[in-house]
Amino acid sequence: MNYEFDWPLLLEEPNWGWVIEGVANTIQLSLMAWGFALVLGVLIGAIRMSKSRLLRFIGTTYVEIFRNIPLLVQLFLWFFVFPLLLPDDLMRAWNRLDGVPFFTALIGLSLFTAARIAEQIRSGISSIPKGQFLAAYSTGLTEVQTFRHVIIPYAFRVMIPAIASEFLTIFKNSALTLTIGVAEVTGAAKTIEAYTFRGIEAYSAASLTYMLTTASVVIFMGWLEHALRIPGLIGKR
Amino acid sequence: MTLPLVQINNLSLRYGDFVALDDVSIDFMPGTCVVICGPSGSGKSSLLRCVNRLENFDKGDVIFDGQSLKAAQNISKIRSNIGMVFQHFELYPHLSVMNNITLAPRYVNGVNRDEAEAKAHKLLERVGILDQAKKYPNELSGGQQQRAAIARALALEPKLMLFDEPTSALDPEMISEVLQVMRDLARNGMTMLVVTHEMGFARDVADEVVFMDKGKVIERNESGGFFDNPQSDRAKEFIDRVLQKI
Ligand SMILES: Nc1ncnc2c1ncn2[C@@H]1O[C@H](COP(=O)(O)OP(=O)(O)O)[C@@H](O)[C@H]1O
Ligand SMILES: [Mg+2]
Repeated sequence: MNYEFDWPLLLEEPNWGWVIEGVANTIQLSLMAWGFALVLGVLIGAIRMSKSRLLRFIGTTYVEIFRNIPLLVQLFLWFFVFPLLLPDDLMRAWNRLDGVPFFTALIGLSLFTAARIAEQIRSGISSIPKGQFLAAYSTGLTEVQTFRHVIIPYAFRVMIPAIASEFLTIFKNSALTLTIGVAEVTGAAKTIEAYTFRGIEAYSAASLTYMLTTASVVIFMGWLEHALRIPGLIGKR
Repeated sequence: MTLPLVQINNLSLRYGDFVALDDVSIDFMPGTCVVICGPSGSGKSSLLRCVNRLENFDKGDVIFDGQSLKAAQNISKIRSNIGMVFQHFELYPHLSVMNNITLAPRYVNGVNRDEAEAKAHKLLERVGILDQAKKYPNELSGGQQQRAAIARALALEPKLMLFDEPTSALDPEMISEVLQVMRDLARNGMTMLVVTHEMGFARDVADEVVFMDKGKVIERNESGGFFDNPQSDRAKEFIDRVLQKI
């Protein structure tokens, strides 16, 4: 192969600016979507275990819909179809917003991931032995206190690996948002390639960015898991 | 005249179509230690769980210390007066032994942390595992875990203690350390309902023995009489079987 690499090219303007913008957008989008998804996912996970049939039905419907439609299709629906459903005034306001692609991506990623997190919350909480509830209730703790002090802290520790892996999934899924025009890492690589015909350098840099970020998340989560581990629990129960 | 601490009146409990408790009526006097025995599946655990309304019974009622549990609005408050000990300990694995014990006093009774810890300190001393206070449940032996669980149940100064097969999950060499703690409790006048297959404990420590089968109370007797002179054939069979095993 007689291809001459030109790595310094990436550091020249405007390429470098695109790289930085891409990394910033990817990280911002992933973190925000993960935060929203976590809150919404916990809520939906909770209503799926509620005593009310209606609430359970709503929760289950949500999870089944958002988990089973491919993310790319969901992004297109939010981007192309959702604004059409808005009342005229709202639609005009929406279209005038700065960064519509970013917000659309945020909504799409958050709602999609919330369904997956809700599912994990449910399986995390149902993995808690029933005796833990009985023990807590028998000491006079109320249902809310039992969840607050016993069940959630316990389930949370059990679920750290799953929640961390959701973050990595969001992070990688965020690449799909280039299709609706978000200038995230992969979008930046595409732009650089279009202007310089240096696709190999651009996509290598993008891959490296994903790998570095993933590695730091894995290291951080490993640390968190260790810090919050339940002493003596490994291999028991 | 002393009133019973626990009065169970025509209590029935079903799981779906299955009748787990069938019209049970029985009283327990304060300060007595009663062993409940019977074949597996006879409804012993179900009965205990009705006494603090961890099960919602279908018919009948339980009167604890003069209050009807069926009508009770504040069941949590009533439960805090009834300690419960489980076969599998059910300590909270993410909390230290100390925090396992102080959780309910702090959040149910609003006791401040220092006071709750001072109390826990005394209880741990009483059950002989003061040196384990900072450890987590899964770092303890089974016998130590069960003693910690007893301390947790005692932390709210209950009027009644329920034990559901407290030694069944223990290695044989740890059974006696737990029974010893229970024996001391009984000697100090705690009212106790104990589901157990430990016939030595029933004979030596319990005041009375209740024999259950198929969701009914078949027989009740003071403990000496139960072993020497069982009234029903089913109780006879049961005694022969458990004594043979030992
Ligand atoms: N949560 C439950 N759902 C359905 N059946 C149950 C449940 N708990 C207990 N049972 C059934 O009720 C019967 C009595 O159970 P239990 O009170 O645990 O008996 P014991 O403690 O005497 O062994 C058993 O046949 C058991 O299978
Ligand atoms: Mg049982």
